[in-house]
Amino acid sequence: MVRKIRKAAVIGSGIMGGGIAALLAGAGVNVLLLDIVPFDLKDEEKNDPAARNRMVKAGLDAALASKPSLFFNKKDAGLISIGNLDDDIEKLSECDWIIEVVVENLGIKRTLFERVAKIRKPGSVVSTNTSGIPLKDICEGFAQEFKEHFMGTHFFNPVRYMHLLELIPGAETLPEILEFIATFGEKNLGKGIVWAKDTPNFVGNRIGIQGIGACMKFMLEDDMSVAEVDALFGPALGRPKTAIFKTTDLVGLDTMAHVAKNSFDLCQDDEQRDTMDLPDFIGKMVEKKMLGNKTQGGFYKTELTPEWKKIRKVLNIKTLEYEDLVRPTFPCLDEAKKKSTLPEKLACVLKGDDKGAKFAWKCVANAFQYAANRVPEIAGTIVEIDNSMKWGYNFEMGPFEAWDAYGVAEAAERMKSEGLNVPANVMAMLDKGVKSFYKLENGIKFFYDFAAGAYKAVPVSKSMVSIAAAKGNSKTVMKNASASLVDIGDDVFCIEFHTKMNAINAEIVDSIGEALAYVDKNGAGLVIGNEAGGMPGAFSAGADLSFVSKLCHDKKYAEIEAFLKKAQDGIQATKYSAFPVVAAPYGMVLGGGCETCLGADKMVAHSELFMGLVEIGVGLLPAGGGCMNLWKKYINALPGKTAKEVDLAKLFIPAFMKIAMAAVSMSAAQAQGNGFLGLADRIVFNRDNLIGEAKKEVLKMVDDGYVPPVKQPLRVMGNAGQGMVTAELFNMLNGKFMSEHDAFLANRIAFVMSGGDVKVGSEVDEDTILKLERDAFVDFCKEEKTVARIDHMLKTGKPLRN
Amino acid sequence: MRDAYIVQSVRTPGCKQKRGQFNQTRPEELISFILKAAVEKTPNLSPEDLDDVMLGCAFPEGEQGLNLGRIAAKMAGFPDKVSGAVVNRFCASGLEAIALASARVQMGWSEVCIGAGCESMTFVPMGGNVPRPHPEYAKSNPEMYISMGVTAENVATRYNVTREDQDKFAAASQAKAVAARDAGLFTEIVPTPAFKFVKQADGTYKKESFMVEHDDGIRASTVEGLAKLRPVFSAVGSVTAANSSQTTDGAAATIIASKEKCDELGLTPIGRLVSYSTVGCKSDEMGVGPRYAIPKVLEQAGLTIDDIDIYEINEAFASQAIYSIRELGLEKYMDRINIHGGAIALGHPLGCTGAKLTATCLANLKEVKGRYGIVSMCIGGGMGAAAIFERL
Repeated sequence: MVRKIRKAAVIGSGIMGGGIAALLAGAGVNVLLLDIVPFDLKDEEKNDPAARNRMVKAGLDAALASKPSLFFNKKDAGLISIGNLDDDIEKLSECDWIIEVVVENLGIKRTLFERVAKIRKPGSVVSTNTSGIPLKDICEGFAQEFKEHFMGTHFFNPVRYMHLLELIPGAETLPEILEFIATFGEKNLGKGIVWAKDTPNFVGNRIGIQGIGACMKFMLEDDMSVAEVDALFGPALGRPKTAIFKTTDLVGLDTMAHVAKNSFDLCQDDEQRDTMDLPDFIGKMVEKKMLGNKTQGGFYKTELTPEWKKIRKVLNIKTLEYEDLVRPTFPCLDEAKKKSTLPEKLACVLKGDDKGAKFAWKCVANAFQYAANRVPEIAGTIVEIDNSMKWGYNFEMGPFEAWDAYGVAEAAERMKSEGLNVPANVMAMLDKGVKSFYKLENGIKFFYDFAAGAYKAVPVSKSMVSIAAAKGNSKTVMKNASASLVDIGDDVFCIEFHTKMNAINAEIVDSIGEALAYVDKNGAGLVIGNEAGGMPGAFSAGADLSFVSKLCHDKKYAEIEAFLKKAQDGIQATKYSAFPVVAAPYGMVLGGGCETCLGADKMVAHSELFMGLVEIGVGLLPAGGGCMNLWKKYINALPGKTAKEVDLAKLFIPAFMKIAMAAVSMSAAQAQGNGFLGLADRIVFNRDNLIGEAKKEVLKMVDDGYVPPVKQPLRVMGNAGQGMVTAELFNMLNGKFMSEHDAFLANRIAFVMSGGDVKVGSEVDEDTILKLERDAFVDFCKEEKTVARIDHMLKTGKPLRN
Repeated sequence: MRDAYIVQSVRTPGCKQKRGQFNQTRPEELISFILKAAVEKTPNLSPEDLDDVMLGCAFPEGEQGLNLGRIAAKMAGFPDKVSGAVVNRFCASGLEAIALASARVQMGWSEVCIGAGCESMTFVPMGGNVPRPHPEYAKSNPEMYISMGVTAENVATRYNVTREDQDKFAAASQAKAVAARDAGLFTEIVPTPAFKFVKQADGTYKKESFMVEHDDGIRASTVEGLAKLRPVFSAVGSVTAANSSQTTDGAAATIIASKEKCDELGLTPIGRLVSYSTVGCKSDEMGVGPRYAIPKVLEQAGLTIDDIDIYEINEAFASQAIYSIRELGLEKYMDRINIHGGAIALGHPLGCTGAKLTATCLANLKEVKGRYGIVSMCIGGGMGAAAIFERL
């Protein structure tokens, strides 16, 4: 039997259930979303189906209204049918996977599962999304067949955006069920799988909540303020910007207190149990409904002055009064700012000798101890713990990776000298002369397995191809400061950008040309992709603006023109080279990054895709073939000779608007809707598999007998489109919806995209449009207001509306 | 010149574009129905007596294309000999058609002629399906192609028509329409069959018919409620969806016969077109049109504003309607202007509007037992039109 998920049920339509339903629907699964019939129905409502479904309807509506959206595409909601547990429970018999996401109450869960057990079809998977209740208690006394198909699937909130999916095997779950859900979770839902044991709060929350609790305990001892703690525990330590307390505000103090209490109650033997007993101020805040963002005030609060100016306030935990937020700093943080890599920053903060540095070390040392002591209690290996913190809490490094960065032995020595216990498993490792938890050898990442007392390879999925691993295995064939060409096996090469935000500079433009020449000679095909970190991360945030700015100020227009020509030649060469080129965009794919992808033969895109041609924001236009290639995507989507008969305005206006309004998609599905992704392009849910899937496409195209596309003139809208745009811009300008400069830029963009001064329906050479792009770009660079926009963006990171 | 008499004037309800009850009813169905109904409701008149149909339509293309005047006459079941033409003067098209029909009869070119109007803004959007401003002229003279909403903003800012005044005017229009509908005072409306495509039990679709009796855009409103809406055409403006006319589907017809034919067939004259004027103005403030067209037509007819008992001044936008009323010194006659509401409540089906307002004007003259009525509107591109009708 080949197991399939034809239909899934999600029981419980809160923000978590709604999020899981939205994710499943995004993955193309039919979903049945159920919730209870409201308790407070009036007599006349008792037979009204709409009233009976009120809870589930509200849940789905909340998921649809969520910002950032839990749906990749609101249309996905069409795959979700709603119902209630009284009238529709029979429908569970149609479902291949039933996910329970109801209130965290053992009795309620057991009662529900008793009903589910009677109805579900044999062989269907049943899972609980409980964040803390032991599975063994939930399924105790159930039939053997039920237990064999029962497991924990713990998603993190917000479901679409958090990579972590903890899978918890029950004592009797069949291995093939576990393997199936792991594969489905990884491939179809795009999640990072962590295998957790059936212990309270599993892995992510067990470690995460203890970290927060310890931090709060130590801040009272060391007299640190909320703002000081957050300043230390942000990006300088590889933690998200929301650090400790903004994260707590985001999650909600009540939820956090609940998780902590669960750990405290159930982990009687935990050596750090006292850190899970949160300080008094938490209880007082919960009592006063200072729960965080959902009550418009937790540790932080934003107040508006009568002039609509925002004032950020922060809580003084001693007085429970809000005070004006002053961003604190410490010498160690100032030092860290000067460093470029995380291990260097980490060393500055943890090894400094100011008050902040000492506090940070105290917390982090405690986290090191706690994490090491949890193996094998909550997870079999250190990899599971590191992954859960990276994927569920957005840490850049898990505790063991951070410990490696500090130096395992050095940290152990310091612990000893400060009277702290070094966990026995770590001591044993050090005693063997092993100096780090991880090592990279021949492109394979190894971790130290405490149980075996030896290194083992970090397990990777078969679909995964890692550029980092290939590089570690000496497969880099070309390299400079901005880009590398890496052999990713089977004669396929990958060009990887590695500038800040992967911005495209002159060196990258040169590298693309060189890479194409290299692959032409030595390879079967090319992948354009990279593995930069962050959430969502940046495939490429566009052209290197500082480079453009300098050329503008120096009035080196011929150089600008030459740079553009070279970039366009490279992009055209990717399209017309004798081998397939597949781009693997993810996260931010803006401006020149987007143009690079539009030029490829095919895109294999991650589902989280923020793609757009946003040049107008800095007073420019896409001049790396972006205007031409977006138009080409639109018009080439028409079948056969219909382009000749179709009213081109229906394509031209939307295509033009994407550039004139700097439209950016909020998902790959939206990028499809915007016309950037076409029918030939693919969407991949798991970013870790992106390079592997792109490579697969290259090999498939080679296998199918790849021939490059024939270069043909493009049918264009001509000056008829310019007349339409001019007339409409006059209205927008009159309505003060745009500035004079916006209108000037937009008019010229319309001129370029419509093929210049030609009649509607004319066929124009690609090179002609590319020249129009370059001319317009250079002319824009001569405009004072464009230069002001560029400089403003470089200075503030925000667009200037002039 | 001969005397030309109006012997019938009727209209369909006006229904909201896209979301209204006519959203699946083709324009040919609306206009052919009202042509047929107009003849049937006129005692002693048969289709055999008709000569010609002049049909106003602002965007005569797509479903309204080819020659809708001829197609509609045939679909109404009129004999082959009844000819038809489409007339376009944008928002005055229907009025222009009635004026032409009257002129034909007065000239002796027709004995019985219908002046009509039809617009389904659902099927053919404002601006048409294929708008193509001339590229160079659009650069040098963009105001020729200006959006109507922007002209309304221009009128509001240039002539100081406040947001509050516009919202008050809009709420009053709605209130008058609600009262008239509830009291059954829209006697010029003929209940009209509409169509929709309904999914059947077997999953296939079937075209089904239902009757529409009322204008479906009427919506009781308060000034406070309207004040909450955001301006549509300008980030800093005062013109909102609620103080602008509604985009609407509808059709209307007026039958004009010579005195001789009336005597011969025994037709009862109910009114006559006294005079008709059109005038151009700046296109970027086209809304001022009535302010120039009304004095012109009054002068042509030798009448003054005081002689007029009913004014139907099209409410394309509250701003331009208010401006025109103020400039003409009509504020003292608010009880004679759009007494059952205007386009803000009842809709503005572009090329149909002139024909629709003529039917309304004649019905309202009858209701108040008045003698003279004016139908006037502003016109895109920068024009105004006005006609004086006399009730007989």
